[in-house]
Amino acid sequence: MLFYRVLKWVMPLSLLFSVQAAIADVVVIVSAKSPVVNLSADQVSKIFLGKSTSFPNHDPAYPIDQPQGSAVRDEFYAKVVHKDASQLAAYWAKIIFTGEGRPPKLVAGDKAVVKVIADNPDAIGYIDSSALNHSVRAVLLP
Amino acid sequence: MPKKYCLALLLSVSAGISAAKADQNAPGDAEVAALTDQKMFEFGSYGTLGATHASLSSADYALDAPMPYGSGRSGYWAPSDNSLIAAHVNATFTPDLTAIFQVISEYNSNGNYRPEVEWANAKYALTPNFYIKAGRFALPTFIDSDNHDVGYSFVWVHTPVELYQQMPITSVDGINAAYHFSLGEAENSVKLIAGQNTTETSLGIINSKNMRGIFDNLEYGQATFHMGYQQRISSTQSDLARLNTGWVEASDLSAGISYDPGSWFFKSEWLQDRTLYKTNAMYASAGYRMHQFTPYLTHSQSSAAAAYENSLPYLNMAQKSNSVGVRWDFMKNFDFKLQYDHIKLGDNSNGYLVNVPDNVILSGKTFHVISAVVDFVF
Repeated sequence: MLFYRVLKWVMPLSLLFSVQAAIADVVVIVSAKSPVVNLSADQVSKIFLGKSTSFPNHDPAYPIDQPQGSAVRDEFYAKVVHKDASQLAAYWAKIIFTGEGRPPKLVAGDKAVVKVIADNPDAIGYIDSSALNHSVRAVLLP
Repeated sequence: MPKKYCLALLLSVSAGISAAKADQNAPGDAEVAALTDQKMFEFGSYGTLGATHASLSSADYALDAPMPYGSGRSGYWAPSDNSLIAAHVNATFTPDLTAIFQVISEYNSNGNYRPEVEWANAKYALTPNFYIKAGRFALPTFIDSDNHDVGYSFVWVHTPVELYQQMPITSVDGINAAYHFSLGEAENSVKLIAGQNTTETSLGIINSKNMRGIFDNLEYGQATFHMGYQQRISSTQSDLARLNTGWVEASDLSAGISYDPGSWFFKSEWLQDRTLYKTNAMYASAGYRMHQFTPYLTHSQSSAAAAYENSLPYLNMAQKSNSVGVRWDFMKNFDFKLQYDHIKLGDNSNGYLVNVPDNVILSGKTFHVISAVVDFVF
């Protein structure tokens, strides 16, 4: 009896925790119209750091960033690129001030990112997995 | 007076930039521009404010070759040392045609902060992987040559003196072509440069013509390999050293490696310079990142040919240094760094010291330097 009473409380709690874990999961996405089905963390990292301008199939790749300070951005860079916000700022300081390149375009919010990427087969971005829908495809779950 | 005016001007420009940046937020989901659209002009700024103390009374320690005074003989602390402010504009005329213009106000060989043009070039991308630049651009001798003035972009207070000062020429007025390609998992860039340069140092003026160079940058995983070979015809004129070399051939071979998996880094570079004689220089540095703090250790040294050791102390810059320091990323776009250097001069060498009294050779002397700086980028 006690067992069930405890279970009654623990079950919803564990559900709550698993939902929260899912909310905090970043996914890398491309348009559902893109032929790209999966990418390695290294390939994604190169595209977002401007070291590679194309997908492995040689189609051009246009990375879409989220604004500085957003949780999904920090998680993406920590998990995929292995850089924190200040390491990333230091990296771009080197590139921007020599005219060798520029950081990815910014689009604010998961919904807006999904919309831009759905319409552009060459675009690549990252969002919280809770914002996934049929118009985009997850290519990396870091 | 002009110096204060210039600094005030640059400061107000950078203040304007940071204010403008605050407004420039990402577009909402209503208006999303085409992926390749860029603003015609983008402004930026970076700088360093710092102070240095050197345990010297017979000469000055200066971080950058063109500085006439530093800390030591001229004063206990040198507030001017390695302080600079830069204003940068990036112009995008078409997706393929871009240009940059950058002005730096830094303590220079004339003893003032008169702004000078650091970079001014136009870049045309023939393909996404092949571009040509014309104008004033960086001479990519080392891994951090392009960004040696952007303190925020590296962990140290300044790039290792013994190696980076061995090659005082940092820019080229001319053309460069760069080609980027993938080699399996690795990314490779080859750069060819041609042009000329005039560099003022605390010693005098170095004029260079017929500059030619080939540089390669290979990135594999978290490792970067950098190699370069360059040659030029240079003449060094110095009233201080009573020297005029005339036009002589010079060449440099450089190589470097950097490994940075994120939580720690290792970096080492080497240079061999052949002018009238042969000199070698190198450093090795490693650090560990703990949240906002990055403590690091560096060993750096330069050596001179025997001929220099016996006759030309002005040109013999042999010295060794061991450094320990920490970078603290205390807020967005700012860092604070503290570094201690223990420096030993080579035989018959005044190292990179400036403001040394006539006929004084500090051969073999040991001294220490403490530097504290704040770097920023906008």
